[in-house]
Amino acid sequence: MDISLVTGEKSFFHKVDWTLVVLILGLHGLGLINLYSATHGPLDQNVAGLFINQGIWLGIGWTVFFTMTLMDYSLLNRIAYVVYFLNLGALLYVTLFGKVALGAQRWIDLGPFHYQPSETMKLAMIVVLAKGLSRYSVHGKGLGFQELALPLFLLALPFGLVVEQPDLGTSMMITAVSVSMIIFCKVRRSIIMGAALFLAIAIPVAWKYGLHDYQRNRVLTFLSPNNDPRGTGYNSIQSRIAVGSGQFFGKGYRNGTQSQLEFLPERHTDFIFSVLSEEWGFVGSLLTLGLFAGLFYTLVRIASGARDKFGALLCVGILFYVFWHMFVNIGMVIGLLPIVGIPLPLVSYGGSSMLTTMTGLGLASSVAFRRYIF
Amino acid sequence: MNMNEYVNNPDEAKEYWDRYRLFYLLLVISISLFSVRLWYLQIFNGAELRDFSDKNRLKEMKIKAPRGLMLDRNGEILVQNLLGFEAVILPQYIDDIEKLSQVVGPILNLEPQRVIERIKRSRRVNGAFAAVKLKEDLSREEVIRLKKIRLEVSGLEIRETILRNYPLGENGAQLFGYVGEISKKQLPKLNKDFDGKIRFEQGDIIGKNGLEETLELTIRGRDGVRLVQVDAHGRETVSSASPNLYSESLKNQEPISGQHAVLTLDKTVQEAAWKTMQTNQRIGGIVAMKTNGEILAWVSGPSFNPNELSTSISSATWTKLISDPFKPLRNKVIQDHASPGSTFKPLIALAALQENEISDSTIVSAPGVFYFGRRPYHDHNKGGHGNITVYEAIEKSSNVFFYKMGIALGVDKMFNYMSSLGIGSRTGVELKLEVPGLMPSSKWKKDNIGEDWQPGENLSTAIGQGFVASSLMQLAVSYNAIATEGLVVKPYVIQKILDMDGKTIKEHYPQILRNLQERQANGVQISKKNFQIVKEGMRRVANGNAGTARFWKIPGVPFAGKTGTAQVMSFSADQIYSNCTSRPMQQRHHGWFIGYAPADNPEITVAVLAEHSCHGNTGAVPLFRDVVQAYFQKYHPEVIEEGKKIAKVKAPSVEKPTASEDD
Repeated sequence: MDISLVTGEKSFFHKVDWTLVVLILGLHGLGLINLYSATHGPLDQNVAGLFINQGIWLGIGWTVFFTMTLMDYSLLNRIAYVVYFLNLGALLYVTLFGKVALGAQRWIDLGPFHYQPSETMKLAMIVVLAKGLSRYSVHGKGLGFQELALPLFLLALPFGLVVEQPDLGTSMMITAVSVSMIIFCKVRRSIIMGAALFLAIAIPVAWKYGLHDYQRNRVLTFLSPNNDPRGTGYNSIQSRIAVGSGQFFGKGYRNGTQSQLEFLPERHTDFIFSVLSEEWGFVGSLLTLGLFAGLFYTLVRIASGARDKFGALLCVGILFYVFWHMFVNIGMVIGLLPIVGIPLPLVSYGGSSMLTTMTGLGLASSVAFRRYIF
Repeated sequence: MNMNEYVNNPDEAKEYWDRYRLFYLLLVISISLFSVRLWYLQIFNGAELRDFSDKNRLKEMKIKAPRGLMLDRNGEILVQNLLGFEAVILPQYIDDIEKLSQVVGPILNLEPQRVIERIKRSRRVNGAFAAVKLKEDLSREEVIRLKKIRLEVSGLEIRETILRNYPLGENGAQLFGYVGEISKKQLPKLNKDFDGKIRFEQGDIIGKNGLEETLELTIRGRDGVRLVQVDAHGRETVSSASPNLYSESLKNQEPISGQHAVLTLDKTVQEAAWKTMQTNQRIGGIVAMKTNGEILAWVSGPSFNPNELSTSISSATWTKLISDPFKPLRNKVIQDHASPGSTFKPLIALAALQENEISDSTIVSAPGVFYFGRRPYHDHNKGGHGNITVYEAIEKSSNVFFYKMGIALGVDKMFNYMSSLGIGSRTGVELKLEVPGLMPSSKWKKDNIGEDWQPGENLSTAIGQGFVASSLMQLAVSYNAIATEGLVVKPYVIQKILDMDGKTIKEHYPQILRNLQERQANGVQISKKNFQIVKEGMRRVANGNAGTARFWKIPGVPFAGKTGTAQVMSFSADQIYSNCTSRPMQQRHHGWFIGYAPADNPEITVAVLAEHSCHGNTGAVPLFRDVVQAYFQKYHPEVIEEGKKIAKVKAPSVEKPTASEDD
């Protein structure tokens, strides 16, 4: 079948999924507005440049997005393993020789910016799993041990390396996205039950022997932050105060005392949502959640219109990627989850996260560009 | 099922359609969860958390209430407040102590290492939340330089302060006291003492010693509270960023300034007393009071600078003050007692006259040596004084005369009279730490030493030696009783308390404790006549031909009094008076002179203790004269002028004062 005949009749303008673009722009706009507030408080002296930086990252991000849109994603189906193993190699390199930050080695110094292989690994994982899982049908009983062996092996390698760095947040993210994709493709009920039972036993053991002190502290602090309000519980408490004190309509733009007076830590990166909630209140918070829900709906729509299973699974992977990041970040900010260094996709400051997310969404856009036309 | 990896059938992608429902379920659950949580935080708990965020950024700053002033009887300022700036470190907000000390240290002329030590020490002693004062009373330039770097170092604060100022400086420092920060140790005790009246907090300034301490409740006022917006590092920020600054529950509170105290002191007399002590190079104490008990002057020397002590004093200066052998921190008017020596004699004379052991015409033999049992008791004058009456005995300060009175009276009679006159008990003046002194009795000796009273001890008691000890203030009170012919008054220094607007809210009046012309509970009653006899004797001390204080005169104002010597160390009899001036300073005797003026109708009583000056006359009388003269010059200048004219007509005295002819 000549696919170009099906799609080639329409122009570039008609083939791009503009709903996706608008929703992303919406979230970007939200991010910039808040970033400006978070970096232009009365006390901020050297962070105003971050706003410009973010603008540059956005430009790069959109370039990547449209490059991906024009690229036929089928190419990735062919080179999936190459992408995966190259990335794995980089991860191995970082684990052995990487730069140390906050007690973990995470990146390779590439002159003007840091390359963080664990970040791109999330995408590589999506690609390689989309390829692997698209071979199986969801009709029938679902995936058995035999079918699961390869995906789980592909997950185990990067997971082990990232844990070794150690970066629990990212390794959990990779796992969450991968497992979500696998379950999406239907797993036998008995295996799911077995895995649940296994986790029930394994988690307490991991707690005791597998975690670093600081990681254990974070979880403990999450469970009762008031035990140590000046220490590890500080971030959690200050964030909750910020969100709650916004009340219904918020304190007004750039009037959030928690963020402007620096009570909020990491307010331009991981805690950007607290700034937003404090200044825009319940209304602003729900609007943000609404934008994300709209994005998810659009990604599902693109996936369901994909011309092939690989494309659909690619979209599903990216959907889970954005979803889990949002879930963990907002959950942490509003005190439902422990403090983990996960940024809010498209909104938080940070080039690494921005590039990865925009690449992923660019792939989804590429799927939409080549969608199956009824 | 098509197992071909590379050629996908578009229809196949449709097989996932059912699976998207799984994701929608997950999405709906999580968005609902978040929405409920946001509702809980922002709507349900919103008001409470808004309050939290206000408290986060609003810090209660204490505004110190200015302490009340101290004025003299004519409204002259004795203690006041000045505005100043201080540099303070808030340890909990420091993020780089090294940098802070490197930047702040040089500006304040402090070693960076010392800055770190001070902060660490305060953290240890006072906890992490107590502000550390780096320097008080900053100069203008220091303030400007600190303000420039304030934003670079977190934890530094420049505060406006009120500095306590003592315009008289060292003069009267022990009387006024000084102020200082409450120590952590003092805090619980003070809060117990002042329970329900003041709640002290760490870092509060309180009065230490003297009137500052006595008047604490009255003059401290009530501190106010100001809310300021701070950032997470504790730095004060400009509040314009937020229009909704204050919640209703948080309000500023103005400080209420302390009440003022009007003292009975007279600044002129006070200054004269200090000046004469300085110019005569004397140390010791002077107290001058009106015969009704109002204290006019009160000095103690050597002294210290309370202005220095009230700001952060260097430990070197402090060590020096503490280890000074002449004890500058001690209030020598009430905190020291010594043998009254010959100043005791007029008091003993009163007892002897009243008990009819002698009359004013009784002639007593007073040789140079007196044997009691087998032991010789010496007079300071080797040749003795011949046969003398009580007038001459006081004028010439005969020892032997009073040895005989001591034997005749016995210790317990002397105890009754002396106690009634105020010896051996506190005068009740408002200051703390007054010593009671000691007047022995046979019972006292039995109770405290466990021995019977020896008859020989009557002799030393009668000339103010042995167990007898008295403070300068006590002697002033007992001499004042002679001056007033029987009135034992309670000396006082606080006359009035004024509120902020200068309205009198409390006033103190002269208080007569006893009138000795009336019969006392212990049987003592002294007749007017006997007082007058003793007064005549004391008049002769300053005005008679052989009086021990006759070389010092005040034109127009004849005075009366008595010299005395207090031994600092025990020496054998012939050593006592012979070579005092050749001994090291600390071994020399104290000289006393206590008297009143004018001799016939007394207005003021003045007591002088000239420590280590060897003699009562040369040591103490000139000081007495200057103080009295200053008083009369101010309040009765015409009397002095009149006196000067008369003095010019008279031939000047050829006699020169000789120290040897003492006591």
